Amino acid sequence: MADASGARLLLARLALQNLGRRRIRTGLLVAAVALSSAIAFAGAVIMRSIESSMSVGFSRLGADLMVVPLDALTHLTAALLVVEPSDSTLPADLLATGKAPGIARAAPQRVLRTDRSGIGTHGESVDLIGFDPLDDFTVQPWITERLPGAMGPRDVIVGSARTARLGTELVLFGTPFRVYGKLSATGVGTHERGIFLSSNSLLALAPAIQTQTGTLPPMLRPDRVSGFLLQLAPGARELQVRFALLSHHPQIKVVAGGSLLTGIRQGLSALLSGAVVLVALMFGSTAVMVGVLFSAIVSERRAELGLLKAIGARRGQIIGLTVLEAMMATAAGGVFGVVAGALLLRLFERSLVFHLTQMGVPFLWLDRLDMALSAGLCLVAAALVGMVGAFIPSLRASRREPYDLVRGDG
Amino acid sequence: MLICEGLSKTYDTDRGPVAAIRGVDLTVNAGRYAAIIGRSGSGKSSLMAMIGGLSRPSAGCVKVAGTDLWSLGADARARFRARNIGYVFQFASLLPTLRALDNVALPLLLDGRGQGARERAAALLEEMGLGAHLDAFPSEMSAGEQRRVVIARALVGDPVLLLADEPTSDLDEETEREIMGLLERANRARGTTLVLVTHNLALAAQAEQVIQVADGAVAP
Ligand SMILES: Nc1ncnc2c1ncn2[C@@H]1O[C@H](COP(=O)(O)OP(=O)(O)OP(=O)(O)O)[C@@H](O)[C@H]1O
Ligand SMILES: [Mg+2]
Repeated sequence: MADASGARLLLARLALQNLGRRRIRTGLLVAAVALSSAIAFAGAVIMRSIESSMSVGFSRLGADLMVVPLDALTHLTAALLVVEPSDSTLPADLLATGKAPGIARAAPQRVLRTDRSGIGTHGESVDLIGFDPLDDFTVQPWITERLPGAMGPRDVIVGSARTARLGTELVLFGTPFRVYGKLSATGVGTHERGIFLSSNSLLALAPAIQTQTGTLPPMLRPDRVSGFLLQLAPGARELQVRFALLSHHPQIKVVAGGSLLTGIRQGLSALLSGAVVLVALMFGSTAVMVGVLFSAIVSERRAELGLLKAIGARRGQIIGLTVLEAMMATAAGGVFGVVAGALLLRLFERSLVFHLTQMGVPFLWLDRLDMALSAGLCLVAAALVGMVGAFIPSLRASRREPYDLVRGDG
Repeated sequence: MLICEGLSKTYDTDRGPVAAIRGVDLTVNAGRYAAIIGRSGSGKSSLMAMIGGLSRPSAGCVKVAGTDLWSLGADARARFRARNIGYVFQFASLLPTLRALDNVALPLLLDGRGQGARERAAALLEEMGLGAHLDAFPSEMSAGEQRRVVIARALVGDPVLLLADEPTSDLDEETEREIMGLLERANRARGTTLVLVTHNLALAAQAEQVIQVADGAVAP
């Protein structure tokens, strides 16, 4: 019905005009809601970005335990990405026989530090890391760029500090390889310049390495490896696995690093749910504030509301007029809030995220769709705040007899 | 046309109940001009509010054009008011944010009869001699002009009953005569039943029927 929409249009106009009557009051209301929405929007986006960044980070940090020879040096900040280079080795089948319970995955690695690879000017020390692409769960998650297709025997992956472009040729001990992929910054210097290739490809280089260096490094023997990276099965306790390993193999060292990260992860999720509660409380208190404000506004205007009722406004129209007025203000607050929140995010990107990225900590922004969804949710919440806040006062006014309202008492 | 039976109104106050109207019976025939007179505090406004469907009686009933007002639901009563009753209140009663034209068209718009509402409002304002003030806000008009806008609004829905509660008490004599002239013309030319509350006995003398209220009851 065109006429009913005419009535609605009129109410919308009245609501808008009412907002214009007290510019400062309206402005303060809009500002209060904008503040909550800005915090809610920016907070939600940052929190969810951190959460997803962390979960990517955690999946990249893969290993819970590292098994290395007893006399090997270990570098804890290496974040259990690769085994440290050393001349001590372990038997390649160490974990194959009587594989300890509680281990989900075991990735053997061969790490050779050499200054004769033929890369760069004379004497550049390079870590060649041989891993098993099928068993690996610590190297490949860090790949940021790669060529299409699976990694082949003549392919290498280079650390982030290497400038070699994808698809270009890299000669190791006289054998040409193709740069297949590139890792993102890991934050560990030796890895940034490392060259990663499959164990078999590394073993195939053994004769050339032997002729060039005069010796055969021990980890280049097919039955030896530098160490293993382990991932615990769900529910397995680190301490038990470590104990089981050590009791079977006295010549090894087991290095852990996962429990700290697990702690961080748990702390973060507690922080996130705390933030959600805080945001909900903030919107709740804004709704209460709107309620207080609008019960004052309704009593200030009760003569007008009474007049409207007297000349035929129905209860729904009285409620609609007041609730609409509140929702227009709070929704406008929501819009300003989202805009302000977006500016906050920019600021955050320029400062903290920039530093994090510099430090090699990955920060992934929430994708556009989720960001738009968060903004939409904030807008809806802001509008709801107005609706909920103004509903009770307007309901009470709508129930009064017009004459009582018009007389202006009570 | 207008029938009240056993109409009573008791206000609950902090100092106990106040009986403002006590068992009023009255009848005003269709198209008549009736004046309600009585001292201040006698209950005239309370009676008018019940007649107009604005204040629920403590007892009794009000029938306007055969409809028992207080047996209707709140929304049905609101609709009935919009379609059948016009009010001219004792006080300024225009919405300050709306121009004269929109104030007059308001009852039709609220009732979902927006088609042609503004044209009708404009015609009525012309009739009231306010053709030059269609776009004026209430604050830009004199008290007499505002009162004429209120009368135009009361008439815009073509009501069968026009209620005016001391519409001229705050106006000078000349303006009072103009306003009364407009109300009487509506009564005579449109056949609208007019019920007027007044202190002014000279005004009451013009009416076809005089209802005297004293201490909440109608004097015989
Ligand atoms: N809402 C109310 N609550 C309590 N008492 C009321 C209320 N409205 C009116 N009264 C009382 O009812 C009585 C009648 O009031 P009413 O306003 O109907 O008188 P009136 O004849 O219109 O007076 P006036 O000529 O001054 O307008 C008065 O004693 C008044 O104090
Ligand atoms: Mg009165």
